[in-house]
Amino acid sequence: MSPAVMPPTMTQISDPKIAFAYLRPACVLLTQQPTVANVETLSTQLKEVNDATLQQLQDYVLFPLRFVLKVPGPKKEKLVQTVAETISYVLENTCVQNWDTLHDLFSELCLCLCSPTDPGKPADLSEELQSAVLRCLETLLHAAYGDIVFRLFEPVMLPGLGAAVSLLLALAQKSKSREIQVSALKCIQSLALQCDCKQDHIVPSSEERRVVGSFMASFLPGITVAVTKIITGDLRQGHTVTVRAIKVWSTTVGLVMEDAQLQAPEPQKTHPSGLGRIAQLVVHRTQEWAKSTAGKLCVLLKKIIACTSAHQHWRVRLEMVELGDHLLDRCSQSLKECVGPLLEALVGAVNDEEPRVRERCEVALSAVSQRNQSDDKSSRAQTFTDVLSENLHSMATSLPRLMRTSDDQKKLFILKVFLGYLKLLGPLVSMVLNSATHLDRISKALMQVLELDVMDVRIVEERTYTATMETTAGSHDSYTAHRQRKHFLYFTDEKIFSVLMEICQTLGYYGNLYLLTDHFLDLYQQSSSYRKQAAMVLSEIVRGAAGIGVVTQGQGLESQVQGHPTTPEDLREAVVLVMEEFTSLKNWHLITVSEDTDRDRQDQQLLSPPRLLSISSTDVSNTNTNCLQVISSSFNSPSTSAPSSTIHQLNSNIWQLCIQLEGIACFAQALGRDFRSLLMTSLYPVLEKAGEETLLVSQAALGSMWDISKACGYSSLKELINENSDYLLNDISLNLQRLSQHPQAPRVLTVMLTHSDCSLLPLVGDIIQDVLMALDLSYDQTAALFCSVLHALMKALARWFPSNRSKTRESARTKQSSSREEILDIRQFMLDYNKQKELAEGIGIEEDVTIEDLEVPPPTECEDIDDTVSPDVKPELPLHLSITKDVMERCIHLLSDPSLRVRLKVLDVLELCVSVLSEKENELLPMAHRCWPPFLQRLIADDPLAVLRAFRVLCTLGETCGDFLRMRVSKEVLPKLSSSLVRQAPISAKAGPVYSHTLAYKLQLAVLQGLGSLCQRLDLGEGDLNVVGEACLPYLSCRQPIRLQEASLSVFRHLIQVDPDTFWFTLNELHCPSSYTPPHPDLQPVRLSGMGRPRDEFSGNVLKLLQEEFGSVSETINQPGS
Amino acid sequence: MSSPAPTPVYTLRGAGGPLNTLHFSCHDADTPLLYSGSGKGLIHVWNLNTRRAKKIVKGHSGNSIIWVSTLQSTDALISQGRDMLVCLWDLSEGRSEMVDSVWTGSVGFCQCSMLEMSPGNHLLAFPGEQTEEIKIIQLPSKTPVCTLVPDAKVGMVMCMKLWQPDSGLGPLLVAGYEDGSLLLWDVTQRSVLSQAKAHPEPVMCLTFDLKRLRGISGSSEKNLSSWVLDGQNNLQLQDNVTLVNPGISQLCIRGDGKLLASAGWDHRVRVFGWKRLKPLAVLQYHTDMVQSVAFSDHQDPRQRLLAAGSKDQRISLWSIYNEGAETG
Repeated sequence: MSPAVMPPTMTQISDPKIAFAYLRPACVLLTQQPTVANVETLSTQLKEVNDATLQQLQDYVLFPLRFVLKVPGPKKEKLVQTVAETISYVLENTCVQNWDTLHDLFSELCLCLCSPTDPGKPADLSEELQSAVLRCLETLLHAAYGDIVFRLFEPVMLPGLGAAVSLLLALAQKSKSREIQVSALKCIQSLALQCDCKQDHIVPSSEERRVVGSFMASFLPGITVAVTKIITGDLRQGHTVTVRAIKVWSTTVGLVMEDAQLQAPEPQKTHPSGLGRIAQLVVHRTQEWAKSTAGKLCVLLKKIIACTSAHQHWRVRLEMVELGDHLLDRCSQSLKECVGPLLEALVGAVNDEEPRVRERCEVALSAVSQRNQSDDKSSRAQTFTDVLSENLHSMATSLPRLMRTSDDQKKLFILKVFLGYLKLLGPLVSMVLNSATHLDRISKALMQVLELDVMDVRIVEERTYTATMETTAGSHDSYTAHRQRKHFLYFTDEKIFSVLMEICQTLGYYGNLYLLTDHFLDLYQQSSSYRKQAAMVLSEIVRGAAGIGVVTQGQGLESQVQGHPTTPEDLREAVVLVMEEFTSLKNWHLITVSEDTDRDRQDQQLLSPPRLLSISSTDVSNTNTNCLQVISSSFNSPSTSAPSSTIHQLNSNIWQLCIQLEGIACFAQALGRDFRSLLMTSLYPVLEKAGEETLLVSQAALGSMWDISKACGYSSLKELINENSDYLLNDISLNLQRLSQHPQAPRVLTVMLTHSDCSLLPLVGDIIQDVLMALDLSYDQTAALFCSVLHALMKALARWFPSNRSKTRESARTKQSSSREEILDIRQFMLDYNKQKELAEGIGIEEDVTIEDLEVPPPTECEDIDDTVSPDVKPELPLHLSITKDVMERCIHLLSDPSLRVRLKVLDVLELCVSVLSEKENELLPMAHRCWPPFLQRLIADDPLAVLRAFRVLCTLGETCGDFLRMRVSKEVLPKLSSSLVRQAPISAKAGPVYSHTLAYKLQLAVLQGLGSLCQRLDLGEGDLNVVGEACLPYLSCRQPIRLQEASLSVFRHLIQVDPDTFWFTLNELHCPSSYTPPHPDLQPVRLSGMGRPRDEFSGNVLKLLQEEFGSVSETINQPGS
Repeated sequence: MSSPAPTPVYTLRGAGGPLNTLHFSCHDADTPLLYSGSGKGLIHVWNLNTRRAKKIVKGHSGNSIIWVSTLQSTDALISQGRDMLVCLWDLSEGRSEMVDSVWTGSVGFCQCSMLEMSPGNHLLAFPGEQTEEIKIIQLPSKTPVCTLVPDAKVGMVMCMKLWQPDSGLGPLLVAGYEDGSLLLWDVTQRSVLSQAKAHPEPVMCLTFDLKRLRGISGSSEKNLSSWVLDGQNNLQLQDNVTLVNPGISQLCIRGDGKLLASAGWDHRVRVFGWKRLKPLAVLQYHTDMVQSVAFSDHQDPRQRLLAAGSKDQRISLWSIYNEGAETG
């Protein structure tokens, strides 16, 4: 409604006489010839007259314009539109002081809009015209003087205004243009003197308000019904229309039903007689009228709320809040029935996602509670809280049903409203919760809606492998990112979940913590179908009680009740209670793996020895009563639970564990540093789960560990574990002695080792002795379990004490190989060769000693010192070495374990042992010697997998004790392997495709794959290399299975690395692609037996090798001949 | 009772040496404490709530500590080390200062015995420079009270217990000697009241129940020997209990006089009913000799703990037979 842009004022005519003379010709012309052009002329001239002058000439100027409108007969729309625009201009800049002008103009303008037959119906006019006239009407109402405008509301005007109102409503409802809809609605607003635009408005006195209100009461039904239809109508209509319509509704109702007007008795005005039938239209706002009208309005209001409170556009929701605020402010007495729905609407908006709506709503709500408090009648405040708790109760009652039936959008809204009530009630929540039925309803609803969908099969199948465990030193983010999303049965929207959590937190914050934990723990224990939900709720309640996630708002009724009741001691007690339940045997040791795999069956055997109950258990009675359940539910003795543990059950267990783990993290967050004292009991269970095989559980546990370490003020998992290693080790050590009951103890140790550093070693030392002792006591049963511990231990040791020996060797090797890659200078070679030869003959030894010795690493000094200090007594070994020795000792036995899995694991452990022990050769060699016999069996007569693994160990062993091994390998290993290779070669060459599934094939493959690197690592002698080369040559044939060819190629690649010349020769003997002409005629021509041979089965692979390893074939010319 | 083997409620580790002696101080319910003395001269003060060492006192210049105790009224710590000193420590307000020391001159392993005469006034009995002599002094004044040297040849003094009888006589002291005999001394008269040959081997430890006037002693052989004092203060040998494995380091009777615990060289702690010496439980956890046992003095009998300190550098805490403590 911004006024039209004014031309600069200095050029305006300010003298009325001049203005009159200036305008007169145009006016006269217009009266004579009503054309668009003439109107426009007048319109432009008007703009050159200033406002005060125009006011004096108002009637004169308006006359020709009105005349155009009044002329009977059809008019051009364009003309009427221009006239309306010009009138608007005049009225914008002047005031209407004359009642007749107001009245006449009003009816004339209305006539322009309505159809000639029915003054209440709009005529079929162009939108531009309608819009112009509507604007003009509104300007007129704004321009009217205060003393005349109230004459509009005399009863005589009822029919006329009634027609106008219905006309405007019809426009607002039916028009297709949003602009017209909005203008029509604005006109209605202005007509009721409730305009909210920026211009100055008449401020009616209370008496005048009463007059207007009483007058508008006649139109109230029409306006409210029609406007409700607009609000609840087409969702696609623009939000501006809806917003405006809500505004009209709220202002009209607010005016007519105003408490101030209705409470004072209506003065019985004696209407001038002669009103006749008009008198019937007058409404008397009596008590009964008010009551019945309120009832009807309530119905409409509910419709509006239902339609708008979850509206897409935030402005609509904001307007709804305004409406609630306005009506609660003005009409809370007369519209008593509506207070409930209105509050509900407001409360629902407290958690609106749009901050502007939220803020407005908070203001509104605080105004509501302010009003209630400032009212000295305490009964009224009482009613307000009554209404709130009544609403809460009815919501709680219907909540379970609504959670089942409604869609996500609706659920979200309902839950938001619920949350709003909780926040609004504030500390009064605890009073509401004291009612058992309330609490019961609320908890049932929560249990229902939070039910998880546990059907996803992948959850069970995902496994943590040790490989992934290694990388777990990563950052926290990687865990939070991994945290699995929960899938719920009854909703998918993540927002719903967060609202639910906030509800729980708010309950925890305001409610009685003891009551709540007690109640939900009951639910938790009662039924397995509630357990997961209850655990979730409990965690959030505790978090809420600590004030996490709860935004305290000013609008609650807190001031009436004592402040936040939960003390840190209470919180701690509650946490201890809940956590005890979470980590109790029956709720913590759940099966998450199906027992089908043999590994698990082994674990099962671990569990089956008689279950002992200790008399020292902290709560004997409890354990006893639980005993039966434990056996049937968690210790799945195969007979009872095999059929019951379906995937569904397993999934459910996994989720329960995850939720409980997250719960423990929540508790840590709630208690902050105070949680440190609870680590004694809580850290072990969490670590136990971090070592679990099920990926989801172990990840949840790691996530919890991070949260705990953050909450307790530790900077990393390492610190968390190191600082609390005494607690952990205590439990590990105790549980190792009761492995039958606590098979997870080794896992915890594994997790500790994985995440800690060498500072842990002194403490862990005696535990490792315990582990080894426990292992010694029962090799057959516990081997599998302990192998993983030993593996983790050795991996940790290898990480903590990287052996410098292997490093130096590594670098030496690379140096060696790089030097060899330099282009060989024949001259240098000959010189070297000559020198070598002289050396061999004993010439010039003295001078060359130094050069030779450089390659030999100087003996480590510490050894020297040890030797000198105590030549007889063996110095005490560093702890990690003595542990390694002890572990290696066990490996000797375990190497021949019947289970392949164990053997493989042991080979891994052995490899690590070797690399750790490599720094003390005189410790390693005896151990290696003792390991040799069982190890040899793995190497030459075991499953292909084991063979391959054994080769790797052999290579590692070869790095550190090459001399020791060389003999044994060339004596015991190579002959057997090569002979078997040679023996098998013709068979595999002839075999069909099925052969690749046979054990023989796999063995061949394993040996071939391992042999190459073994030869290289061990620095085998020429003879041995030749044996290997000969054994592998047949596999270069293209008749062999392709993978055997590849493996054989790899052997040759390694061999060539060791001794390029020999194998260049060997290969060329087999097939030589090019002839070599000596660079100098004095030299003998080169003759190789492979020369000129036709392509055969070997040529392909030989060529490939020559190409790869010796560069392009032509370059090989420079190679020396022998 | 065929109940399965009990397990410790907790083990305290990190003492860094074999544990020779334990002493509870649990009057303060907020921070119950356990003092332990190690073979490497460290006294650990364990907080039983956090189950961690609250303080570590280094004393006796690294020599083995064979006995620790606290003076009830002043909360001062007293310790005896193999450097032939008995030291008094002030641990209040975070301090750990040695305030006083007494030179004993004893090279043996005999532990001291202390008796509170009145608040702030204690008698301390300790082995003297001569292997068979026992000296008694007053604390804190350090005034010598007497020196008890047996006439008969009984060998080195091995263990002793000092107490104030209800009969109104002066303090009595029972001591065990190398030849296996027990001597009952009247401290004020400095005379032997009674003598008994309880063991063929040296008496390693003894303890005495003031209410029943009954004591028990252990030796390096398999037998535990119990004895009573009759009205004339005569030592009379009673039942013998024969154990499976020889060697007892320490014996301890629980405050309510219902349980007796023994620390065995066979790595085990054995628990007996004190009245009839009925074997009740074998506590198996340690991997080396158990050298000390102690019952806690918690106000609430249900919280009472048994602690065992071993040569394997760990202290195990056990909560046993506490349930029916009130009913009996």
